[in-house]
Amino acid sequence: MDRKQLERWLAEEEGGHDAAADAAFARLFTAMPRVEATPAFVEQAVTAAWRWRARRRRLIAFGWAVASVLVAAGVLGLYLASPRLAPVLIKALAYVSGHAVPWLVAYTTVAMNWWLTLAHVGGVVASALVTPARAAALVGVELFGILAFFALQRIAGAGRFGDAQV
Amino acid sequence: MSVGHTASDAELASDALAGSEAAYRELVTRYATPAVNFIFRFVRDRALAEDLAQEGFLRVYQRLNTFDPGRKFSSWFFQVLRNITIDYLRVHRLPTASLDELAEAGNQGAAVDRDSASPEQLAGQRELATAMSAALSRIRPEYREVVVLRYQEGLTQPEIAEILGLPSGTVKTYLHRARKELAGILAEQGWAPGSETLSSEVP
Repeated sequence: MDRKQLERWLAEEEGGHDAAADAAFARLFTAMPRVEATPAFVEQAVTAAWRWRARRRRLIAFGWAVASVLVAAGVLGLYLASPRLAPVLIKALAYVSGHAVPWLVAYTTVAMNWWLTLAHVGGVVASALVTPARAAALVGVELFGILAFFALQRIAGAGRFGDAQV
Repeated sequence: MSVGHTASDAELASDALAGSEAAYRELVTRYATPAVNFIFRFVRDRALAEDLAQEGFLRVYQRLNTFDPGRKFSSWFFQVLRNITIDYLRVHRLPTASLDELAEAGNQGAAVDRDSASPEQLAGQRELATAMSAALSRIRPEYREVVVLRYQEGLTQPEIAEILGLPSGTVKTYLHRARKELAGILAEQGWAPGSETLSSEVP
């Protein structure tokens, strides 16, 4: 990085030669020293990653072990309890379905009636309110809203580094 | 396994994902200085830049399985670093820097070529590097990042556009404006052709 390179670049910028200025600046800036990582950096980064990897592998192994034990215990429990459990389960299932199904059918019928009534009222209100002009105005407002949203997103995207301003 | 100086970044990433420590070490070795240098330009603190870069490498390792080998590794890597830096700067607002601090920050990044220069040339180079580094600290952060990525890391405009999530044309405009601003700042400080600068006064 020397004075001549700098002067060449500044002269090209002054002359408005964009491509030449870009090339001159690239030559100048490439020679600009970088902030080097300390010698211990690589070792620390590798150690941190491998420590995380080992922890993760231990966690996964532990998860598998716990899941296997739980499944095995569940299967064993079911096997041991099955002679007594099976009749109880079948009776409970028959009782629940015998009581629940008629209620379910009744409530579904009521809900369907309400739904049909609401749909009918909604249809009447909509046919009274919606005209082509109003529909066009609504679509226009929505389009404007979408455009405004995208514009705001672009502005927010450009300002993400705002806090880093010197 | 394709660990070595000739292996591509994508190959190293793939080997690291398969459990090769040597491949990951090579990847870190390649990108340690670019990472620290990139972050330093925003946080102006070497130790903090190293800490954030360490976090960046760990995050990259944790997400290696999401890396698409069809993409350029450096683009993906700098995108991760950029997100970490932005997250940090959102929470920890940097204080406004004084000119002295900027010059000091510039000095940290202003090592010079000691092999082939006289003491006067060395002093001049150091002063110019300091002035450029301080000027870089004064331009808008989005300009700064495109300058560092383009001219120091050698990324192309489309690659930078991918990292920043901007159209390629916007990156070109940012580069143009960044150069103009840097030229203006340096000219203001007396580095313009024909003007007397401090560098000529160095004994």
